[in-house]
Parts: sequence; C-alpha cells; structure tokens
Amino acid sequence: MTNPILAVSNLCVHLQREGRRLPIVDNVNFALMPGEVLGLVGEAGSGKSVLARALVRAISSPLEIAHGSVVFEGRDIMTLSPRGLTSVRGNRIGFIGANPMGSLDPRLPIGDQIVEKLRSVKPKIGRAEAREKVLDLLARVHIPSPNARFHEAPFQFSGGMMQRVMIVDALVSDPSLVIADNITQPLDVTVAAQIIRLIDDLRQSINTTFLFISSSLPVVAQIAERVLVMQRGRIVEQGRTAELVANPQQSYTRTLLSRIPSIWKDVTSPVAVEGEAVLKVDNVTRTYFVRRRGTFNSYNEVKAVRDVSLTIKSGENFGIVGESGCGKSTLTRLLAWLEQPDNGRIAFLGKDLSLLTRRSLIEMRKSFQLLLQDPYGSLPAGMPVQRMIEEGLLIHGIDRAQAAPLAREAMAEVGLDGDLAGRLPVGLSAGQRQRINIARALVLKPRLMILDETLSALDQVEQTELLDLFNRLQATHGFSYVFISHDLALVRRMCHRVAVMYLGRVVELADNATLFERPHHPYTRALLSAMPTLEDNRFSRAQYLLDGEPPSPINLPEGCSFRSRCPRAQKDCEKVDPSLFALDDGNYAACLHTYGALTQKETADVE
Amino acid sequence: MTEIVQQSVATPANSKGGSTPTGRMLQLAASRMDFRIGFLGFSLLVVVAIFLPLISSIDPIKMSYGAKLLPPFPAEGWRWPYLLGTDQLGRDVLMRCLVGLRYSLLIGVTTVILMFVVGCGLGLYAGFRGGWVDAVIMRLTDAQLSIPMIILAIAILGVSRPTVPAIILVLGLSGWPLYARVTRSVVLGERNRGYVLGERVLGASDLRIMLLFVAPVVLPPIAFVAVLDIARMMIFESILGFLGLGVQPPTPTFGNVIADARKYLLNAWWIATMPGIFMLVSLTCLNLVGSALERARNAVLRGEA
Repeated sequence: MTNPILAVSNLCVHLQREGRRLPIVDNVNFALMPGEVLGLVGEAGSGKSVLARALVRAISSPLEIAHGSVVFEGRDIMTLSPRGLTSVRGNRIGFIGANPMGSLDPRLPIGDQIVEKLRSVKPKIGRAEAREKVLDLLARVHIPSPNARFHEAPFQFSGGMMQRVMIVDALVSDPSLVIADNITQPLDVTVAAQIIRLIDDLRQSINTTFLFISSSLPVVAQIAERVLVMQRGRIVEQGRTAELVANPQQSYTRTLLSRIPSIWKDVTSPVAVEGEAVLKVDNVTRTYFVRRRGTFNSYNEVKAVRDVSLTIKSGENFGIVGESGCGKSTLTRLLAWLEQPDNGRIAFLGKDLSLLTRRSLIEMRKSFQLLLQDPYGSLPAGMPVQRMIEEGLLIHGIDRAQAAPLAREAMAEVGLDGDLAGRLPVGLSAGQRQRINIARALVLKPRLMILDETLSALDQVEQTELLDLFNRLQATHGFSYVFISHDLALVRRMCHRVAVMYLGRVVELADNATLFERPHHPYTRALLSAMPTLEDNRFSRAQYLLDGEPPSPINLPEGCSFRSRCPRAQKDCEKVDPSLFALDDGNYAACLHTYGALTQKETADVE
Repeated sequence: MTEIVQQSVATPANSKGGSTPTGRMLQLAASRMDFRIGFLGFSLLVVVAIFLPLISSIDPIKMSYGAKLLPPFPAEGWRWPYLLGTDQLGRDVLMRCLVGLRYSLLIGVTTVILMFVVGCGLGLYAGFRGGWVDAVIMRLTDAQLSIPMIILAIAILGVSRPTVPAIILVLGLSGWPLYARVTRSVVLGERNRGYVLGERVLGASDLRIMLLFVAPVVLPPIAFVAVLDIARMMIFESILGFLGLGVQPPTPTFGNVIADARKYLLNAWWIATMPGIFMLVSLTCLNLVGSALERARNAVLRGEA
C-alpha cells in the first residue's frame, strides 16, 4: 500500500474567547491517498472551513491550533518554518474557495495575477514560460479564447468562468493536493455541474489529490470516492461514498441523509388545484436601459423580462425557477408591484394594478405581500419585534392600541415566543427572523404571498419547519404562494405548477409531475440533469447537461434565445422565436422541438 | 464557521443590556475615562460660561485705567475681580474669556446643528429619491464646495454687518455640503436594503421610510462625528474674529481679543494666552468626547462590544 500524501492526526483547533476555549476542530484524524478525491461534508458551522485552513496552518486569532500534526509529503506542516510553509502553501497545496469574484485583485488582468502567483512560489520559472503554462491551463478548463481572456479583469468574467480561473490559479503550480472549499456554493446548478464535471475530467489527466468540501452530501457524492462526515468539529463517520450513502452507521449521518429531499423516488407531486385567478400576468415585458460604456447618450437595452404571461390561482403554490440572470428577480419586483412593466398588464383579483389610484393601490398592497430572501437585512435593526409586526397595520391607518393585539396574534400564529415582543432583532436566528417577516405580512391578511428565495438562507431543519408553517397558513387562510427559487427540490416538494425561466422568458410552464418527470423543454431537462442528487438522476448529464453559459441579455440571438446552447437546435430555431405552445395536457413549452407531446395540429402550424 | 465566531461574539454584546446600536455606542463611550473627563470638563466650562457673567457684577467691557495690565492670579495673590489679570485698557481678562467662550460655543453649536439639519436633510432626500433631485442637490454641493470659506466670509461679512446670525450663516453655508455628501453616500447604500423594500411592500410612503427607517440608521454615526465638528467651527469662529470678520469689538471674542493682544505679547503675555488656554481646554474636552464617541462607534460596528 502506498503512503498517504496527507496524514492528519489528533488535530484540534480552539476558539479563544473571553477566557473560554471552544473546540472548533476536535481531534480530527484522517489520511488522503495520492490521486483520490476525498469529500468532507457537514452543516454550516461544523468546522469544515477551519479544518481546511488548519491543514496549511492558515489560522489566526481568535482561533488557534491546540495540538495535532498534519504530515504532508513526509513533512509536518505544524512544525515547518515560515519559509517551509511558503514552499507548501499555494505551491504543493492549492486552494479554491467559495468566493471566486473576491479572490483576485479587481483591477488587474487575471492572467498577470496568476503568472505572478506562480512566479512567487516557483521563482525559477521564467515569465514567458509561466505565461505559456497559464494559457495552457485556461484552455484546459474550457475558458473560450484564453488568449484574449488572459488580459481581462475579474469583473469581466461570470461567476462560473471566474471559478474556472480560480481552478487554474490553484493548479498552476502543479500541486499534489488541492483543497476545494465549497466551490460550487455560489454557482447556479448547471454551472456547478459543469465545474464538477471539469474537476472530474482534470483529475484524470493531472494526477492531483482533491479534498472536496461542501455542506451538501449530494454535491460531494458526485465526485468523491470517500467521504468524511463532520459534526461539531468531529469526524463522526467516514467511508466509501456509495457504502456510506447506502448504509450509514451513525445516527448523524442518517439524519443528514433523511433531510435530503427526494426528487423522483417515492414522491407524490402536489396536484394543481382549481380556484379563481388571484394574480393574472399578461404579456409583461420589462427592459432596462444601461448607459453604454464610454458614451454619453447611447444605451444598451437589457431585456430582463420578455413577454411573460401566467395566472396564479387561489390556494395554489406556483413555482418560478431559473438560474441567475434569467429575470426571476425582475419578475418578482413586477409581481410585487415595486416596479411597473413597460408593456403588458398585471391584474390582481381582476383589477389592473396600473389603473388603480394611489389610494386604492396602497389598499390593494395589503393583499399581496413579498417575503424577502435575506433574513438579516430585511428587518430594521433598531425596532422591537412587536412594533415591526404592527408596522403594516400602522401604515394602513390602524392605531397602536388596535394593532398590538393583532400583532400578538400573528406572532403566536407563526410560532414566535411572546417574550420576543419587546426584543430587538439582534441575536435572533435566521428562522426567527423569517417568522417575523411572515408575521409582518400576515397581519395585513393578504391573499398572495410572494416568496423570493425566502428559505434559501435557512438550514434544512428550519426550512422544513417553515414549509410546514406555510402549509398550515395556507390551510387556515387560503393563501396562494409564489415560490421564486433556484432550489428545484423545494419546488418539487411544494409547488403545484412551475414556470421555468430562461433569459427573461418562460420556457416551460407545467404541473409538478410533468415538469419533473417528463419535461418538454430541453432547458428544463438540463436543469434537472444538473441537480445534485443521491438517487439516480432521470436525466443523465452526459445526455442533457448544457455547455457554456447563457448569452448576454443585451445581444440576444435571433430566433430562439436558447438555441446557442440547445442540444436539439435545428435550422428553424434560428428564425422562429417560439412563444409558449399549449400542449395537450394543459401544459406549455416554448420550443419548436419539444420532447414528445407537441400536438399534431400545432406542429403543423409551426411549419 | 464564520457564523459560529460571529454568534459567539455577538451574544455577550446583546446580553450587555445595550439595546440599539446607538444605545450601545453611548453606553460604551460613557464607560471610557477620556469621555468622562472630556464631558465633565466641557459641561463645567459651559455652565461657567453661561452663568458666571450673569451673576457676576464685573462688566467685561468696562475699562479702568487705574487697573490696566495687571498680571494674573499667582503673581500678586488672590484678587477678585481681575483674577486672571487685566488687559491694556484695564478690562477683566477672565470675564472677557468667558464671554468669548460664550460666543464661541453659541456659534459653534448652532452652526453644527444648522449644518446637520440642512445638510443631512438634503443628503437624505437626494440619496433616497435619486434621479434629477439627487443631481441638482449634488451640483449645489459642488458649487458650494468650490467657494473657499474665507472668501465667502469676506464677501458676506465684509458687505453686511458681522452679526452672530451672519457668522453662523457663513460657517453653515460652507459646511453643509460635507454633511449632505456623507449622508447621501450612506443612504445610497441603505436605500436598496431589504428593510426599505420590506416597508415598500407593506405600502409605506417614501417620507415614512426615510424618516422612520433610514434616518435612524444613517444619522447617529454622523451626529457623533458632528460633535468633533463643533470644535472645528469654534476654531473657525476665532479665525474670523482674528481677521476682524467676527463679532465686533467691544464685544470680546477669542479671535478679536487675541488679535488685539498681539502687541502686548512681550510685556503682558496673559492677555492673549488666557483666551488661548480657554480655547485649548474647551476644544480638548470636546475632542475627547467626540473621539471617544467615534471609537465606541467603531468598536460596536466591528462587533467588539
């Protein structure tokens, strides 16, 4: 048996705070074999990132390494001289983090920065040679036209492209170990899947060992042969990925597994309900004008939302999914009437919002409420909880004496402890804060709640609790919900009908079962194939996963805007920009060549 | 991981009774020795400057040729009046300093309040509304900032009579753009924050959001810095007085007293030095208070308290 490339024994990292010592990494032991990919999973706060930093001794006060050894290629990193450390960090051990956009100097070309890094760890390499090497790697991580992009600054890259650049940055010194800390976390699903695929390809050719850290077991399971499960600073279980998933030994691992929502296996899809239309969106368009760089009065049109129509029925959960830049945030702002559409009409309970007077619009606002994503920024910091909940009532002219009992009632209904009434939001958990937000909306007795990534900042346990709360509120008040989310698993669990957006347009609108089991649009299939799951993905990546990134919304291609990435694109896609076609089962897809169910008649119409 | 550290840092701060961030800043500042010394010293000076000339029978402009150029206290033992000596015309130096301090404080404090209200108000409005409102107000500040304070003072005070309101107007005019700009830039960061959006969704008006939600977040830190600005305005007041553009003699101000006393520096040092000491002490006290507030604010923002 070969020797491990990295052997960690009894590693402890403590947090020093006011004389107390809190173990963050607690007696960790593991070994990494050359060429393997080792996964490290654990919830937020379990000490994964601290462990990753402790491996290269990049730990600073108030954290300190209490004891333990990290033997890397025969040398103990804990006892290395500062000089010895620099010969390891960034050189023999590469690091990729979760913040690709913030990792390089925003003013300088990325290529120069990587060359500089390479030459600082390997001074013997000449400038020209270093450049060659960087260009070669840029090409190998599939960055289009590396020669040109070498000279571009970080802001000219998308998040996914920048993460590729960071991979180059980590690999450029030919490290024998790369620590990848949560690298897919800031990325969209399809881009994340591309990055995973890229790393999987690369490791075949460069013979590097990876420590792949993530808070999501499905993500890790895609790539790692072995997995460590971390809980409160301890490694509670380790083993081969497949065995660990199939047959977890520890109760913590079992809990972790049980919280992973199932997508296809044993799922009963929520079935669409019939009700009156609450919100009706007709052919809504929103274009932003952005001043063209370097000019005084010429503008670029950014078509953020293009010709979107949908109807949300009473008592329905409606999902809107799509990747960043697809226009779902703009659509949210339109639905919440924070912005007005350039074209088209949004009607709430049959009344066109643009025709309402100021006064009746304010009155109408009570009936549709938006819950925001960020539980921290969305609450005013200096206001007691109860007062915050009363706020909506006070705005609508109810005096404090009457508002107080209503606010208390709402607090009880969302499960907030009455003792919190006089507290300020400081120190409340994300879940409690979102409950406050829900209560703030609830006192106004709305008909529709728009949830803009409302649950994405919460951990699995809190998410589940809030979803139960949403269901309970729906049962008592008959709310409709719009879930705007990039989390397909959440949408699968909650939504009756789902709209998939791509480049400002709804490309598929279908009921839950159709969308997840036999979607018609190739983009939907691509999204599903990119989803990290532990079960067998019905849509294989080899067949459906997209390459590249969406085109810029400024210069949309002629014809179907998806055709540049579409695996099924044909000649006619270059000419026709398809709008939503009705399919025979009451669903819609905007594609000339849907999978399956296009009815004969409409196919004929298109041709 | 970062969350753990933040939480464990945040918890003790919350338990420390401090309510709002501003409350915690004040609490923290009040626990510091430099704040206490500064605050005590400054309050003492304010009380003395306001009340001593009221209850005392000594007239700061009454000349007495028999008592001119008397040296201050220890030289010829305890003496009342004339504790700090007399000037070339036999006027009581202590009383003149106190009256000077009065004017200095009056002008400094009023100017800062004026600048704060006008500057922050306009900045808040500009930042929150954006668009052409913002453009107009910001161009106004640009125009104002391009005129140096002294030139403005000569222009206005040279033409009109240099009364207290005129001086306050000049200092305020040259100072408000700074407040407007700082406030605007902070508001720009705040106006797209979730809580503003949240209020909009509930149906709140712009005015309500601005005054009830944005202002309490944006203004306290600026108010803390404004305390330091009082000291700056007091210095400007003396500069104007020294140049003959301040409150006119015979009313004594730090500036005109020092200007007059220059000729006597060699044989009667106390006439110019005593107002200097009064200024030094009061400004030091103010700066102690101001910088303690600012340090407390930084500590709270960094999550150290």
